[in-house]
Amino acid sequence: MTTRPLIVGAVAYTPNVVPIWEGIRDYFTDGPAQMDFVLYSNYGRQVEALLDGHIDIAWNTNLAWVRTVLRTDGACRALAMRDTDLTFSTVFVTRPGSGLRDITDLKGRRLALGSRDSAQAAILPVHFLREAGLGESDVDLLRIDSDLGKHGDTGRSELDAIRAVLDDKADVAALGVTTWEAIGRDQLMPGALEQFWQSPTYCHCNFTALDTVPAEHTDPWVEHLLAMDWNNPDHRHILELEGLRQWKRPHLAGYASLFEAVKQQEIAAQW
Amino acid sequence: MVSTVVLDLVERLGAVSVGTMVEVPLHPGEADTVAAWCARSGNELVSATEDRAVVRRGRPAMAAFADNLSPKQRPGARLWLYTNFDCNLACDYCCARSSPKAPRRAIGVDRMRRLVAEAADAGVREVFLTGGEPFLLPDLDVVVRSCVDRLPTTLLTNGMLFRGTRLDMLRRMPRDGFTLQISLDSATAELHDRHRGSGTWQRAVGGIGIARAEGFRVRVAATVAPHEADTDAQAAFHQKLDGMGIPREDQVVRPVAQRGFATDGLALTVDTLLPEVTVTADGVYWHPVGADHDDQLVTRDLFPLRTAIEEVQRRLTEYRRTVAVGAQRFPCA
Ligand code: SF4
Repeated sequence: MTTRPLIVGAVAYTPNVVPIWEGIRDYFTDGPAQMDFVLYSNYGRQVEALLDGHIDIAWNTNLAWVRTVLRTDGACRALAMRDTDLTFSTVFVTRPGSGLRDITDLKGRRLALGSRDSAQAAILPVHFLREAGLGESDVDLLRIDSDLGKHGDTGRSELDAIRAVLDDKADVAALGVTTWEAIGRDQLMPGALEQFWQSPTYCHCNFTALDTVPAEHTDPWVEHLLAMDWNNPDHRHILELEGLRQWKRPHLAGYASLFEAVKQQEIAAQW
Repeated sequence: MVSTVVLDLVERLGAVSVGTMVEVPLHPGEADTVAAWCARSGNELVSATEDRAVVRRGRPAMAAFADNLSPKQRPGARLWLYTNFDCNLACDYCCARSSPKAPRRAIGVDRMRRLVAEAADAGVREVFLTGGEPFLLPDLDVVVRSCVDRLPTTLLTNGMLFRGTRLDMLRRMPRDGFTLQISLDSATAELHDRHRGSGTWQRAVGGIGIARAEGFRVRVAATVAPHEADTDAQAAFHQKLDGMGIPREDQVVRPVAQRGFATDGLALTVDTLLPEVTVTADGVYWHPVGADHDDQLVTRDLFPLRTAIEEVQRRLTEYRRTVAVGAQRFPCA
């Protein structure tokens, strides 16, 4: 068995990515599987690096996972995810008094979407509209592509979508539930916004490896990752920064809606 | 007009690393919103004026810092009381500048009783009595009793005066909730006597024996200068104490602090030293190693003690914050 450290790729969407990954790397230093990390500026570059074998594992968004599966014909596996990745969802928010009660009320209204490569703020909202019987021509879509390449990780395009609603350039904003939480839901901007619809849950990020990387190489790494403990102050610091309490084994059914959305919207597997 | 300061905060802080400060403009009435958002999101509101707020990404320094302290280490958990400053010895590293010539400056039984009562009410869990040499006080047994009645107490002594009326005084001290901490620097006389005076090692060893024979819990503490620290000597020290029946948890080795008479030792300042509230006859200090130094003076008012303890806690938060601000303003590269 090789003793070479596993190389994990991640996208640098905030400067905090550096302390997060240095912390995770240090956590693995004395463990059964050592690792190092490489940072990419966007998910396109990272998935290419994974396919080319430059990295063993990629910390992928849900869209990057779907694209990896499609590019490899399924010859890849998800290793682990955050507890918070298991129950991700999208919310639709509007100004109070807009009269909107349900997703079907969006017919003929203006919907501000986040960056077109954001599953939570663009791809899945369109998918949920379709499921509710609304095609793209039934709703006036305002696309705000302010963090392309980062798959919505920065949350910036969602904040811009909210501003569009507050400026009356849109009736509704589609947000990942984490952005809605980050602004304090409807509690810190009283009278400004209200949530009127929430999507079914779906999965967000996961650690992805190609099948060419043997399981005996990744298994000890996964086991050690899952052993990170919220009650240990050293681990907790990293977990807090990365936004989870516990690492979990993946739940692949949670990606079904995004696979369908990518297919229906003919989103390229390569970019 | 709807306030969008929360959107600005999420966007601006999301783009910076933990510990970085961000300034956002405020409209009237938005300061409370910023405070509420900081409390909810786990970021630190550094300051807010009428037209701007400064927020640091990440949890407040003191909260994060205090999380990592054991309950015993929390500032205010332990209280040091300098019974007096005069001493029968004149050790060359004494951080309190004690000697036979030092004026007594004793707290006295009445103030001691009041201090310990207020300390217990303010959340102090343990008291340490030190000097000078406490056994020079004729009423030390009454002082000790007044402390032990309220809180677990440790008395630091050089262990050399357990004779005659002072031995009688020792015998009157309580055994429960009370520990004697006797200074012994080395396994053999040479190092100990070099700093503390000829013949002192032998008498300290004798004092440890007497205290143990009288049924006291005895902790033995060595003070060692960094340039004299040596692992073989330390192993021999532990072996000696094992032989005297002192359990390992009661064998303590501390470095010399660069304070008082010491010219060599660890440099300790309020910025780098976790406080342990310390009261002398002259005031309340940051830490026992600085109890004779104005740079560590917190207040001249011994009472109410709670106010002084809270002031120490407030200053710690403030120092931590200034250190972080300094690091941010003066990056080294
Ligand atoms: S170190 Fe202790 S024994 Fe020595 S002079 Fe100072 S107070 Fe006295």
